[in-house]
Amino acid sequence: MSETPAVQVSSLVKDFRGSFGRGMIRAVDDVSLQIAPGEVYGLIGPNGSGKSTTMKALLGLVTPTSGTCAIFGRDSSKVDSRQEVGFLPENPYFYKHLNGEETIRFYGKLCGMRGRSLRERTEELLELVDLQDARKRRLGAYSKGMLQRIGLAQALVQDPRLLILDEPTAGVDPIGSRQIRDLIFNLKERGFTVFLCSHLLEQVQEVCDRVGIIHKGTLVKEGRLEELISIEDQTEIILRNATPDLLHRIHELADQEEGVDLVRSGNPRTTLERLFLRETVQRDAKADPGSGTGQGSPADGGPDGCNNDTEEDSP
Amino acid sequence: MSRHPHSTPLFSFSRIWIIAGNTFTHLMRMKVFYFLLVFVLIWLGLNVFKLPHTAGPESVGGEELRLLKAPLVGTMKLFAIIIGIVATALLIPRDVEDRTLYTILAKPVPRLDYLLGKLFGVLLLILAGLTVMTLLLDAVLWYRTQGILSEFDKVAGILIEQQQWTVEDRQEARAELLSHGVTWGLQGAILVIFFEAAIIAALALLVSTFSTSTLFTVVISTLSYFIGNFIADGLDHWQGSSGIDEGSLGDLSTRALFVAFPDFRPFKIVDEVLAGQIFPPDVLGSLALSTGLYVGLYVVLSWFIFTYKEI
Ligand SMILES: Nc1ncnc2c1ncn2[C@@H]1O[C@H](COP(=O)(O)OP(=O)(O)O)[C@@H](O)[C@H]1O
Ligand SMILES: [Mg+2]
Repeated sequence: MSETPAVQVSSLVKDFRGSFGRGMIRAVDDVSLQIAPGEVYGLIGPNGSGKSTTMKALLGLVTPTSGTCAIFGRDSSKVDSRQEVGFLPENPYFYKHLNGEETIRFYGKLCGMRGRSLRERTEELLELVDLQDARKRRLGAYSKGMLQRIGLAQALVQDPRLLILDEPTAGVDPIGSRQIRDLIFNLKERGFTVFLCSHLLEQVQEVCDRVGIIHKGTLVKEGRLEELISIEDQTEIILRNATPDLLHRIHELADQEEGVDLVRSGNPRTTLERLFLRETVQRDAKADPGSGTGQGSPADGGPDGCNNDTEEDSP
Repeated sequence: MSRHPHSTPLFSFSRIWIIAGNTFTHLMRMKVFYFLLVFVLIWLGLNVFKLPHTAGPESVGGEELRLLKAPLVGTMKLFAIIIGIVATALLIPRDVEDRTLYTILAKPVPRLDYLLGKLFGVLLLILAGLTVMTLLLDAVLWYRTQGILSEFDKVAGILIEQQQWTVEDRQEARAELLSHGVTWGLQGAILVIFFEAAIIAALALLVSTFSTSTLFTVVISTLSYFIGNFIADGLDHWQGSSGIDEGSLGDLSTRALFVAFPDFRPFKIVDEVLAGQIFPPDVLGSLALSTGLYVGLYVVLSWFIFTYKEI
C-alpha cells in the first residue's frame, strides 16, 4: 500500500498501575493494526478487553508503555496528529451548561474555525445529526441518543478525514442506534475513514469492511468481514410462497445428490431489531408519510424481513 | 492532501481565550457563584446603611470611612480567595470525570493551553466579581465621603471663625479625610487582592493536577494559603528581631519554603493602605512581577504533572 495509512498502530503495549500502586494491569498487549483511508474498521471484544485504551493511545490521551501510534503518518504523541481526527468517547458528557449549537461552536473554535465558515459548518452539522429543533436546548436536557449525535457532530466539526467512535450506540435505544448507524453509512459513502469499536456485534457486521477481535488486550483475529463470516461450503436459498410439494421435491433432489446435506429449512427469522424498527419508526412513517423520522421504507407489503443482508433503508 | 498544512503552535492566545471564555460562562451558569456574588453585593449594600453618621471634627470622619471600608474590602478578599480555590478545584476533576477532557484534548489542543484556559477563566470570574464590587464600594464610599465632607466643612468653618484652626489646619485635615475616601491607592489595593487570588488559584490548579478529589485540593490549597500568611507574619517578626543575612542558610531555607507556600508578606500592603497609608506606585509593579513569577512557576509545574497524567 503506497498511501499513508489513516491509522497505524504498531506493537502497542499499555500497562496501567493497579490501585494503590499494586501490580500492573496490561490493558493492551502488543496490538498492531492498520486502517487504510476510506475503510470502516470495527474493533470488537468484550468489556475490559482494551478497545478504549487502544483508541486513547491512538489519540495521545494515554502514553503507550511501548509501541507507537500514528494518524495519517503523524505520531500520536504530537498535537498535530489530532488535526485530521474526530473522536466520540464512550458515554460522553459534554458541558451541560452549553446548548447544542454552542457545543458545536466551542469545538469548532478549538480547531481554529471562526466567523462565517464556523456558522455554516454548525448549521450543516445540526442538520446532519438531525438536532436543529434541539439546538437551543441545554445538553443537560438531552437524551442519550441526542448526546451521542451531538458528540458525532463535534467530532466532525473540523471536517476530519478520520473518525474514532468508541461504542457509538451503547446505551441508545434501537431507533437512536439506527440513526447513528445510518450516519456512519452516510459518512462511509462520503469517503471518511471510520475506526469504531463495539461489543454489539450485529452493528459492526452491518457497517464494517474489516474487523479485528480483541480479547484480554490481544488482537486474536483480524480480516475482511465477508471472509471472516461467510461459510464457504454452504448456500442459502430463500423462497417466497413455496408450496409444501415444492419443498418436498427440493429435499428429494438434495438427497439424490452425492455429498450434499440439507442442513436446515424453515421460515427465516427477521431480527428482533428489524421487527422493532418496522413496528415503530416505519409504522409512523406509513401513518404520516410527510414526517422524515423513519427514513423511507420499501413498503412492498410482503414479509420482507429476513436474515439476509438486504438493506431496508436506502440512504 | 494537505488541508491542514500548518502545525499546531504550543501556545495560542486565541485558543486559551476560547477555553477561558467557556470556563467563565460555565462558572457563571453554575448558580452557586451567581448566588455568592449576589450575596456579597447585598452585604455590601447593607453596609451603606449600617453605620450611623457620627459627624465630628478632625479625623473622626476619617475613622468612620475606615470602619466602613475594612469589612467591605475584607469581604471582597474572601470572595476572591474562595473563588480562586474552589472554582479551580472543581473544574479539572469534573472535566476528567465527565470525560469532557477527552473531547477537548482529542482536538488539536495542547495540554498547556487547556490548563491556562481553565486558570484564566477563573481569574476572569474573580476580576469580573471584583470589578462589580469595586464599583459598588467606590459609589458607597464616595456617597459617605460627600456626606462627611459637607459636615466637616461646616465644623471647620466654625473652628476657623473661632480661630482654633488656621486655613492650613483645615487643608491638612481635609486631605487626611479625603485619603480615606475613593483613592487610587484603594483601587491599587484591590488589584493586589486580585494578585493574591491569582496566586492561590494557580496553586489550586497545581494541586488539582495530582489530587484525586476536589476536597483534597480545597483543603491543601487553603492550608497553603494560611501557612503562607502565617509564615509571613512569623518571618516578619523573626527577621525584625534577629535579622537574617542575605544568602545565609536561614535565608535560603526561607526561599525554599516560599516555593511551596507563597510569600504573602509584600501583599500585606493592602492592610496598610486600608489604614490610610499612601500606596507607593512602584510597589504595585514589584507585586505584579512576583505574582507573575508565582503563577508562572505553578503553571509550569502543573503542566509538567498534567503531561504525564493518565487521564
Ligand atoms: N486509567 C486506568 N487505570 C487503570 N486501569 C485501567 C485504566 N483504564 C483502563 N484500565 C483497565 O484496562 C483494561 C482495558 O480497559 P478498556 O480499554 O477500557 O476496555 P474496553 O474499552 O475494551 O471495555 C481494563 O481491565 C481496565 O480496568
Ligand atoms: Mg471501552
